[in-house]
Amino acid sequence: MIKSLKLGMFDAKEAVNAREMAPAELGERARKAFWYMLLARAYEDKMALLYRAGRISGGVFVSRGQEALSASIGVSLKKGDIFAPLIRDAAGRLAFGTPLLDPIRTYLGSVLGPMRGRDGNVHFGRPREGTLAMISHLGAMIAAVNGCLMAKRMKGETGFVGVASIGDGGTSTGAFHEAVNQAAVEHLPLVIVIANNHYAYSTPNNRQFACKNLVDRAIGYGIMGHTVDGTDLAECLRVVGKAIELARSGNGPQMVVAELLRLSGHGEHDDASYVDENLKKSKIGRDCIVVAEEILKSNKWASDEEIINWKKATERAVETAVSQVMKEPQPDPDKEDWTAISTRRLIDTHFQNEHHVS
Amino acid sequence: MPQLGESIAEATVVKFLANPGDVVAAGQEVLEVETNKATMTVTSPCAGKIISWLVELNESYPVGTVLGYIETEKKFEEKPSLPSVNESPATQEQPSIEEKKQEHEPHRRGVYPTVRGLPVPAHLLGASYMSPRLKARMQELGLHAADLAGIKGSGAGGRVTIDDFERYIAEIEKQKKTKASPMRVAVADAMRRSWTRPLATVGIYGRLDNILEHRKTLSPKPGPSLYVLRALAIALAENSAPAGRLIGNVIVHPPSIDIGVAVEAEDGVLVPVIRNADKKSLKELIPIYNELIELARRRRLPAEATGSSIATVSNYGTFGLVWATPIPLPEQTLVLGLGAGRKMPLWDEEKQQFIPATMACLTLSFDHRVLDGGAAGRLLNRISELIMKPEML
Amino acid sequence: MSITYLEAIRLAQERALAEDPRVLIYGQDVGKFGGAFKATKNLAEKFPGRVIDAPISEDAIVGAAVGAAIQGMRPIIEIQFADFSTTGFNQIVNHAATLYWRTGVPCPIVIRLPSGGTLGSGPFHSQTLEAIYAHYPGLIVMTPATVEDAYWMLLEAVEIDDPVIFCEHKYLYYHLKAEGVGERTLPAGKARIARVGRDITIVTYGAMLHEALSVANELATEGIEIEIVDLRTVKPIDTDAVIASVARTGRLLAVGESWPWGGVTAEVIARVCCEGLNLLDAPPQRLNSRDTPIPFHPNLWAAHRPTAHSIAAAVRNLLRM
Repeated sequence: MIKSLKLGMFDAKEAVNAREMAPAELGERARKAFWYMLLARAYEDKMALLYRAGRISGGVFVSRGQEALSASIGVSLKKGDIFAPLIRDAAGRLAFGTPLLDPIRTYLGSVLGPMRGRDGNVHFGRPREGTLAMISHLGAMIAAVNGCLMAKRMKGETGFVGVASIGDGGTSTGAFHEAVNQAAVEHLPLVIVIANNHYAYSTPNNRQFACKNLVDRAIGYGIMGHTVDGTDLAECLRVVGKAIELARSGNGPQMVVAELLRLSGHGEHDDASYVDENLKKSKIGRDCIVVAEEILKSNKWASDEEIINWKKATERAVETAVSQVMKEPQPDPDKEDWTAISTRRLIDTHFQNEHHVS
Repeated sequence: MPQLGESIAEATVVKFLANPGDVVAAGQEVLEVETNKATMTVTSPCAGKIISWLVELNESYPVGTVLGYIETEKKFEEKPSLPSVNESPATQEQPSIEEKKQEHEPHRRGVYPTVRGLPVPAHLLGASYMSPRLKARMQELGLHAADLAGIKGSGAGGRVTIDDFERYIAEIEKQKKTKASPMRVAVADAMRRSWTRPLATVGIYGRLDNILEHRKTLSPKPGPSLYVLRALAIALAENSAPAGRLIGNVIVHPPSIDIGVAVEAEDGVLVPVIRNADKKSLKELIPIYNELIELARRRRLPAEATGSSIATVSNYGTFGLVWATPIPLPEQTLVLGLGAGRKMPLWDEEKQQFIPATMACLTLSFDHRVLDGGAAGRLLNRISELIMKPEML
Repeated sequence: MSITYLEAIRLAQERALAEDPRVLIYGQDVGKFGGAFKATKNLAEKFPGRVIDAPISEDAIVGAAVGAAIQGMRPIIEIQFADFSTTGFNQIVNHAATLYWRTGVPCPIVIRLPSGGTLGSGPFHSQTLEAIYAHYPGLIVMTPATVEDAYWMLLEAVEIDDPVIFCEHKYLYYHLKAEGVGERTLPAGKARIARVGRDITIVTYGAMLHEALSVANELATEGIEIEIVDLRTVKPIDTDAVIASVARTGRLLAVGESWPWGGVTAEVIARVCCEGLNLLDAPPQRLNSRDTPIPFHPNLWAAHRPTAHSIAAAVRNLLRM
């Protein structure tokens, strides 16, 4: 625990060691994380299929290859924490408590979804329950997490943490810079998890930044930095878990940079033909679910039978959810409340008088 | 063709992965297409047998195009939860369709720019400008622009502002008023509309003596107006151009010689119409004429006896008037007026002396856009000629 | 004893902090320094930990406000000059303004924008941006023109559960004084008839209200009675009040300090034409700043924005139509 709230310059070397996780706890978390990885993969595969059959409006963005990193975030967080997931956080969201129906309803346009058709694909969230709903402008969510953390601190809460996900591309934004700096200045318990999957849409790392490793930026901000092999579930759990514990115990913002590869297009409309073949064949090109299965079995954290059952169960859960959602109503423009503010007496009545021909 | 990415509008077919006759599973890749971003596969929406492809290799089709047909069994039908992109709900089809559905050609939709006329400048100054507020108020009171003639305007260029108008109305409220009959209002409206054209009048003296003699031989005795009407009809039958309508740059000749007669009735004037006046002789017209006059006086004219005449004959002489410039109805180009007959000395070239003659003014008021004084004069002269031989009418 | 427009803003913030523990103030130099214009003078001392200095990061400042609002706080953000809000524009219009519509969670933040020109303030310390923010759905935009409104409308802004862009006018900070803040009268969203008239309606807001009032006094000596409508809020606009005034006078001049294209003046005229064309006895007119960035030199600045002189000329011109 830190002894006093020190605002301002923070020396990374003064970090108090967070306790290391015991193997049994790691095993428990790995089992949990793996379940959510399977569930995420199952529903995203289904969404991609429906997309190519022309059943989904707009785009589909999957997290194939990044499930381990994301799930590690989700299982390391507690109720009361704040999570700002980004595009490839299907597993993390589910692990943090997002119901499976939320993403399926959002993609398929059910009016019962959390966004009620007003936003789609990966933009869903439940802000009051701790999962922020991203806007498309990368980097913008980090400051929002900061604000949540500042508010909690002002309300006298303790022991909470906020995690914001971002990709290599997002770290180039001004919003990223401002927010990480802000978190550092305020000494907030923020963990920024950077999934460096080496391509921002089609832009490779060498056109995105010039520092040797993204984690080098941590020094510039005055915060602690960590790196991890994003394809290794055990490593992800360990490193992400540790970073979260460090933040929770008052060591200020933590930056985690994970190396992995996006095993899909930027969206399902993209064939990722620009990805370097050598990267695909390298360590970071491994399918983290295949790797995780290996890890679970070799550490005897799960049996073959359990894994087979989990695979079946997650697929069944997705099929059930999808067929349920397909029967649900779509938004009806005539029943919509076309109002952007909650204070009804301040609605601009001139526009309510205009007739919209649909 | 699915929507394969935001802002993708079309894709090119590059490979058929399944052929007509093949049985495919739900979700099986059946077609490969290329967008400007990537190469993608299209999957089958259900299990079944491919009947046909409607698309061709290396051709591009917009999103929403029907690519082909699959025959399937009922159990494989999935209820669609989303309308296909770009299809309106009305044309939405089930993924599995029976063969009797019509095929349609896949097509491209083009967008063409439209050309609109230039807008009218909105900033109007000047006496003729009536503001929206003024127009609304006038409409409320049933007034027209012509009614503003008596109001002095204090606005830009002398225009009448709403204040000027309200003051005028207030003034009028103080004066003696009688209600105008609907007839009065209708005539006012017709005259107002007629006056928007440039009207001119020409006149000559016609000799009535032959008519006055001839009418004694008939019973009941026809009035001079009927003779004049018949003469006008014959003259127009010979040359109908003076009674034509100018529409743009075309003079539309009248389809039939229908001539009206001005009849004073109550608070205004009615104009019963004698149809095809050129095709009946004077004698044949007498009963028709008399009946119409009677009906007009009693305000009992049938609908087919009014409207769409090409000219009117107005016998203002019955009021003792010597000459007048009547106004043709808005749909007419001509009105022929007959003044009161007066005994006057007429120079007889043969006898080399003045002889007494009953002369009356024939005035022709006309729309000066259609004809000029010359043509008007020729028409009048012909009529004057015709009334000298009443037995020929 | 009189208070200035600025003091009214300071007092309102003090009261908000005192009465509601969820209120906090965040911005550059707002803490110990009391703000660039002293709008938060002594507040950091009086309410420790609740008046927080931010780095020069408008995006993060507004983003953090949104996050704090999600957690139930009621942040007041001071952007040092309205002109700098553009570096936080994305968070204002795409995050704060869309939060309620997308997620159902209201966003009760207040963003104070010191707006408008003063002598020599130049292109980047003089802007009035109410039209830009009014354009995006999801925001409420206030433009208080009086000391009373500066006080009561700011308090109301804090109470409102939606994002409020509070366009306070820098020129009025020290130039405008009143006896006190008076009573709370009109709520936000309602316009005020600042002067009853007969011959012509001027619709305006912000500092231009005072220019219009001085013109009205001057022209009254010539027998011209100008009716002045102070919009107070430009999103929503009190369309009914504007139309009722035009119904009485028949002539409309909309005056705004902002740039001409698509400003508040254009919006007012559009509404009057849509809903009340038949009330107009002359084409509606508008008077704005020139379509250029705001000049630095006082000579140029005076000719750039509407003044009492140019307003009077516009009134006379409109009456002659």
